[in-house]
Amino acid sequence: MATTVATAPIRDSGWIGVLKSPQTARLLFPFAVLALWYLIYFTIDSRIFPTPVEVLEFMWEEVTLTSGVRYSSVAENLYVQFAISILRLTIGFFIALILGTVIGLAMGLSKSVNAFFHDWVMAILAMPALVWALFLGLALGFSHTGPIIAVILAGLPFVIINVREGVRNTPRELFDMARAFDVPQNKITRHVLVPSLMPFFFAAIRYAYAIGWKGLIIAEVFASDRGMGWTIKFWYDANRAKGVIGYALFFIIFAVILEKLVFDRLSEKAFKWRPQVNAVQMAEGDFGGVTQEGFLLQESQVHGGVPIESMEGESRDG
Amino acid sequence: MEASQSRVWRASREMAEIKVENLHKEFGVGEDRVVALENVSLGVQGHVFVSIVGPSGCGKSTLLNILSGIETPSSGTVTITQDNRDAEPGYVFQAARLLPWRTVMDNLLFVQKDRSDATRERCQRYLEMVQLGDKGDKYPGELSGGMQQRVGIARAFSIEPDVLFMDEPFSHLDAITARSLRRELHEMWRQARKTVLFVTHDVGEAVELSNRILVFAKGGRLEDDLQVDLPFPRDPSNEDVAIAKAKVLRKFEELDLVAT
Repeated sequence: MATTVATAPIRDSGWIGVLKSPQTARLLFPFAVLALWYLIYFTIDSRIFPTPVEVLEFMWEEVTLTSGVRYSSVAENLYVQFAISILRLTIGFFIALILGTVIGLAMGLSKSVNAFFHDWVMAILAMPALVWALFLGLALGFSHTGPIIAVILAGLPFVIINVREGVRNTPRELFDMARAFDVPQNKITRHVLVPSLMPFFFAAIRYAYAIGWKGLIIAEVFASDRGMGWTIKFWYDANRAKGVIGYALFFIIFAVILEKLVFDRLSEKAFKWRPQVNAVQMAEGDFGGVTQEGFLLQESQVHGGVPIESMEGESRDG
Repeated sequence: MEASQSRVWRASREMAEIKVENLHKEFGVGEDRVVALENVSLGVQGHVFVSIVGPSGCGKSTLLNILSGIETPSSGTVTITQDNRDAEPGYVFQAARLLPWRTVMDNLLFVQKDRSDATRERCQRYLEMVQLGDKGDKYPGELSGGMQQRVGIARAFSIEPDVLFMDEPFSHLDAITARSLRRELHEMWRQARKTVLFVTHDVGEAVELSNRILVFAKGGRLEDDLQVDLPFPRDPSNEDVAIAKAKVLRKFEELDLVAT
């Protein structure tokens, strides 16, 4: 029966096919998490560990402002805390982006500038966000400044490295082509240099945002009396796990929504010339430690494994 | 000066002239010094298709890069003139070198002096000449390698240059695609009546396309200057063409270029 060999793989049809599909697996994951949650709930001392229903109830109360708990004399609620955090994140994010782009461009263009900054960029990368948070709290007290600087410091190295690699990977042969055709320099900059930097710049934006968030939350825990981080700590101090988990979920939901609604759409627009690969896939699964892995992965794919020393440390405390 | 719309190329009173005198080019210093071109002098004038052949490393691409201004010579002079002014060159590269983030049409417009309607029409006309008239709004990544190289050819022709420099434009393509592109290119050259300098390592290709073949040897020396007086279009299977090719190959053997 040698004829049975080289045929197409047998595909499961009907229900079995549906059950085995990746979509089903993806949908199944939250249920697995819920099951695990209940398992933990029933095995450990459940005085402080909430059920998912309790967390959802808590979140609903926060959203509808019916919990009755106010955290300070000021009438501060979920929306106010969120607004404060987003303001800090936005300011820090843009400063990191601008500063990182300038430094990254300079490092990519000049070996001396690269040598000047290189060790310091690595040092900032190696420094845990927690240390920044504690230091900023001590140095600046409780204000907007500390958390904003934390966002900048968290995001800056990623912007710098991405922009620098972008400059180093500009396509020489396209510049030569443009020069052979006598294309004016400003046109070359707009149509060759800038577009060739875009994939790296988009990666920089995503990392600065995702890691900036984490830096911000930590800084708010230790160096602020407002914001999402501070609120999470408030519920921690109150010994209410449902508050900690609930606010962490708010944070995750917001981050994912922004990722899908803003960044994915922006990169879809910017990279429609790429038929198969797009930046969405490049930075898929973008939160938490995955970012770091994704970054290293991308690094090794694009540049044949340029080792980025001391890249760990960041995701552990984030 | 301006040609009527029905004409593919603007009329010009005189032909372009390329003059190369004592051109010398070296890379590196000391031990690593490599001579790419050694005292090369040559002149090319008029509606000719000149092929530059030789083994890899004989400096033929370097010569083209210097002629088009991408590289500067170590010594010697190059003048490319048309009607007593600097001539405008077009360039076709080994790889298509298209901007992947611009559509085919925008790639052509990128090298134009302006974006007027007339310019757009001209670009469209050259896209049609390479049979890509309907692909103007596609991105290069959506086209095959042969199509991309066609776009590269259309781009070079679309600026209506006085001289055309081509650096092994078909070497990355499969034999059948290369063959049909060679025919298209030749037809465009015939209509445009311009000066073409065509670098190749393929003697058959050189014999099929050119009136004149410049043979370079390793070390960047111009060894021979051959005329090929056969009518166009030349079919590679034609006896005369085959004989001409054999002659050139024999010349290669005499110059001891084949083994290298």
